Amino acid sequence: MKKSILALAACALLAYSTPVQAQKSEGESLLRAALKGWHVKLRAGFLLGGTTPLPLPQEIRAIDSYNPTMNVGIEGDVQKRFDNSRWGMALGVRLETKGMKTDATVKNYHMEMTADDGGYMVGAWTGHVTTRVRATYLTFPILAVYEISPRWELRGGPYLSWMYDGDFTGEAYDGYIRHGNPTGEKAEVTRASYDFSKDLRRFQWGVQVGAEWVAYKHLSVYADLTWGINSIFPHDFESVTFAMYPVYANVGFSYLF
Amino acid sequence: MKYLLPSGLAVAAIALSFASCIRDEALNAECDITGVDSAWVAGIRQQGIIKGEPIVTNESVRFIKRRGDIDCSALAPLFTLTPGATIEPANGSVRDFTTPQTYTVTAEDGNWRKVYTVEFGVLEASSKYGFDHAKLDASRQYQEFYELQGNLAKPDTARIWASGNGGYAFTGMAKSPGEYPTTISPDGRTGSCARLETMDTGSFGAGLNMHIAAGNLFIGEFRTASAVLYPRRATRFGLQLVGSRPVSLRGYYKYKAGETFTDELGQVRPEMHDTCDIYAVLYEVDPDNFEALNGDDVLSSERIVSLARIDNPGEPQEWTYFDEPFKPCNGKAFDYARLETDGYAIAIVLTSSRQGAYFRGSIGSVLYVDDLELVYEAD
Repeated sequence: MKKSILALAACALLAYSTPVQAQKSEGESLLRAALKGWHVKLRAGFLLGGTTPLPLPQEIRAIDSYNPTMNVGIEGDVQKRFDNSRWGMALGVRLETKGMKTDATVKNYHMEMTADDGGYMVGAWTGHVTTRVRATYLTFPILAVYEISPRWELRGGPYLSWMYDGDFTGEAYDGYIRHGNPTGEKAEVTRASYDFSKDLRRFQWGVQVGAEWVAYKHLSVYADLTWGINSIFPHDFESVTFAMYPVYANVGFSYLF
Repeated sequence: MKYLLPSGLAVAAIALSFASCIRDEALNAECDITGVDSAWVAGIRQQGIIKGEPIVTNESVRFIKRRGDIDCSALAPLFTLTPGATIEPANGSVRDFTTPQTYTVTAEDGNWRKVYTVEFGVLEASSKYGFDHAKLDASRQYQEFYELQGNLAKPDTARIWASGNGGYAFTGMAKSPGEYPTTISPDGRTGSCARLETMDTGSFGAGLNMHIAAGNLFIGEFRTASAVLYPRRATRFGLQLVGSRPVSLRGYYKYKAGETFTDELGQVRPEMHDTCDIYAVLYEVDPDNFEALNGDDVLSSERIVSLARIDNPGEPQEWTYFDEPFKPCNGKAFDYARLETDGYAIAIVLTSSRQGAYFRGSIGSVLYVDDLELVYEAD
């Protein structure tokens, strides 16, 4: 499902951009006129980062492993430079996945879970926790663009994201839980899984900053840092007591039509 | 290449930022009495003050006095604690344990503390169990049965019965003490009785391959800490409370099996039908190193001396009397000399699902038991 949506979005972007490329003479000038100084960019890159509490809470004692996983972002932008200025602006639409896998050692980590069938568990966990995050977003960046030189430009501004599919799962293993709080009954546990996918927030927003370097006439290389401002879970979500923010670098190529 | 370099740098930067963000470890928040100094325990056992091992729970430490008339007015126990925790009064303080004493353990971080009751009680080798008394456990979540003993004008309470309720508490399925597998019921044959029901453990139980929790009640100790990891080792059956040579186990029960039998994988097994279990087992122990039988070996250990069990309890809907003789096992005969040195332990075990220890049974199976009597040979 996810793959087919990605493919569909890529096709849509291509279909949208193909006429710009194909129709040279008359068509091109018409389009230029219609766009009135707006340029179209297609960008594709990889996202690397983490969905993480910031700063890391004291309960997290060690990150034992980290896997950035394979995350792809495809973006279509329209960009305009203001007359007689180095400044410009860009609006875009980006289809992206943000994900990672971590294995952490925690101590006295608060957990609270409610199950559909009425089961409810609250306690303090000491042991290991693995976390797998993978969320696909439709993101709309609204950016200011500044041209340092003909080959370099800087971009920055807010983005709005709508998550249409997300997984947040993992396991607590090789440790013990204290029922309720650190004074509660203790139970040793080899392995227990959790799934908070349903609790992920649909709307997220953040800021991004980045740079783009023109390698060839149409082809640039870019690197952006995207930083989530609201937590991936709602405020009243108590299973994860600290806010978790998606912080990802997006690195790839940009094609200017 | 141009792409690989920045992405490589990004990974390195992220990895570095994670590593550098680990903050100083918080001080311990736990405040447990983790045990009693073993040399000290061995010392008072050799002096004939106690028998067996102390029973350490989340909020109490209980020593079993050898006899009611033993002097416990000046004892100075040594407890082991969570690292960094402190105890008040201090370890080694001489105190009068004629009545239970309290100790406060404070966690290293100073934010959490727990009050422990430490008692030296005599557990009488009683023979009648009416299941007329229960109170809430220290966390006020579920009921625990207790017995009255000694001077009936001012009786002591004795907690010899244990159940798996402490494990069920973790599932969060019970919203009140009455919704646990093991409860006191007012519908007794005389007074109140024990009511055991096999219950659904919900998704948290299912996630651990423990789909059901059978109601259980037994003489012994339930170690909640092992309830998830080694559930059959959590049920430690038996205490050194043997009055004489046990002859038979008798009492009243009624039982109704639940409709749908499920196995340890939660699969429905239409060919199976649930049944309850009521038995008493007498076994040999090393007085200096008490080791209880547990769910793995309570019916198979070579230490078993004799066993009284209702082989085929059926499903009587009205109070039904039973009287099962103790039958010798493993070719062993009862030895009164061994009894004098606390070399025997006895357990009575009741459960609403015979294979409940293996998480096989029917949700909704209900067993009522009342007026149990352990009949000892007259001196």
